[in-house]
Amino acid sequence: MAAVAQEAPALRAGGFTVGAGVVWSGPYDIGDATAELRGNATGETPHAFTLFTAKSRVTPAISPELRVGYGITPRIQVELGVAFSRPRIAVEIARDAEAPSQRLPGEQLQQYVIDGGVTWQLPVWLGARVGPRLAPFVSGGATFLRQLHEDRTLAETGQVYYAGGGARYWLRGADGSGRALGLRGDARVNFRMKGIDFEDKMRIYPTLSAAVFVGF
Amino acid sequence: MTRSIAATLALVLTLGSSSPLAYLKLGAMLNGRIIDATWKQQPIGYFISDRPGNSVSVADLRGAVDRAAATWSGVGSANVRFNFQGMTSAPAEGTDGRTTLGFLDRPDLDRVLGSTSFMIDTVSGAIAEADIFFNSRFAFSVAAGGQPDRVDLESVVLHELGHLLGLGHSAIGETERNSSGSRSVIGSGAVMFPIAMASGAVAERALHADDIAGISDLYPAPSTLGTGGIVGRVIKNGRGVIGAHIVAFNPETGILVGNFSLNSDGDFVIARLPAGPYILRAEPLDDAEPDSFFPGPIDTDFQVTYAPRMVVAPHGGSSPRIEIQVRAK
Repeated sequence: MAAVAQEAPALRAGGFTVGAGVVWSGPYDIGDATAELRGNATGETPHAFTLFTAKSRVTPAISPELRVGYGITPRIQVELGVAFSRPRIAVEIARDAEAPSQRLPGEQLQQYVIDGGVTWQLPVWLGARVGPRLAPFVSGGATFLRQLHEDRTLAETGQVYYAGGGARYWLRGADGSGRALGLRGDARVNFRMKGIDFEDKMRIYPTLSAAVFVGF
Repeated sequence: MTRSIAATLALVLTLGSSSPLAYLKLGAMLNGRIIDATWKQQPIGYFISDRPGNSVSVADLRGAVDRAAATWSGVGSANVRFNFQGMTSAPAEGTDGRTTLGFLDRPDLDRVLGSTSFMIDTVSGAIAEADIFFNSRFAFSVAAGGQPDRVDLESVVLHELGHLLGLGHSAIGETERNSSGSRSVIGSGAVMFPIAMASGAVAERALHADDIAGISDLYPAPSTLGTGGIVGRVIKNGRGVIGAHIVAFNPETGILVGNFSLNSDGDFVIARLPAGPYILRAEPLDDAEPDSFFPGPIDTDFQVTYAPRMVVAPHGGSSPRIEIQVRAK
């Protein structure tokens, strides 16, 4: 195993990497709500009358991302990332006796995320068949989330915790000589708390990202 | 020099005649300008007429008034206080400088459960006097859980006290026509909806968000500073719609608050909303008679339409103006 690990490319301990790329965030629900009227029946709490229902979700979004990492060891890197996106809050209206079910285009958010996390490069070598320059890793971390409504009159904050993995592919510098240059792909599962949500529940959604990184 | 006008608002059991002059708030028209009518001095002193009602006593009425007054006074975001000043042998009508609540036998108003009349100083907008009568043609009840075939007196008092405070009718409610052509309520989103619940119902002893927003707009307490408004316009074929009813729904809290487009440009304002995002629904005023709300003609020929996006009521201030485009039916 030790011999295998020696042949896999790795980041330099004590070195920095800077990356830039794009991230796709998947959709997630932010709550079902029912507009209800007080029903006309005896008793203090008669059955409600439904005026309409509204199912809201944050739509998928693609955003630019910048990421800076610092190698603690050749396999462990701490990193900080920032991204900006403009997802929409789409609303599906249903059960309105006077209007057809419909999807409203919704408002466009301004969403800022700042994440801090760690990647651990797996001690495996994928070998010549997959590519000697490819190194998989797992990742985990936490994200500060800030969401501004379309009119920028109200901001909400939240936290996202994530776990995932990916791989780095060295275009050059895989053997540790010279400046590293490569491609990186990530897939994460995100667990979002707070932020814009009408039920105050934890929401789970995926993100996929692709980036170019440079080592210093 | 004080000039006064009289106005009347009624809570009807089903479709009935009334002579309202009101939108969300009671207004007095002066030289083409609408001014809000409110009490300028508090507490609001009132007397109770000693005339008994149908199946309830004067003491029952006083108890119902006490509870309903406490309900309005209990709104934390509004400054409203009442003061019972005593019993009187005077009827709950006429102009005597006293605000009087009591039973009257009004067989001519066979659909009207209760009615509030005002004297309003049209210079200052101050309500100088208001009387409320409860029609003793109807059998009322003050039983805690209500009584079948009897109208809950406290619910009617709560509605009429809303008028006394300066609130007009709300249109948050759904009705259906019955075989006789009159309306019955399916659901209500405001105590100030003009058509009463069925006999035996007691749910309307509690205020809705729409009532709270309205009274907070008239008598704002310091805690209303964090509330916001939504402003916008309803248009059809490029022209403003007058009389459209716009309901703001907060999907997080579930509250519903409404108001109307009040001019020929279709402009509307929904004030005193807790900060947050709202779904807006514009509907024609077809669940009550338009003359329960507006003294003149309004446009009801359009389809229920939602605003294309949610609108945020900010902490203080108002939202940017949103446009809701409706189409003819």
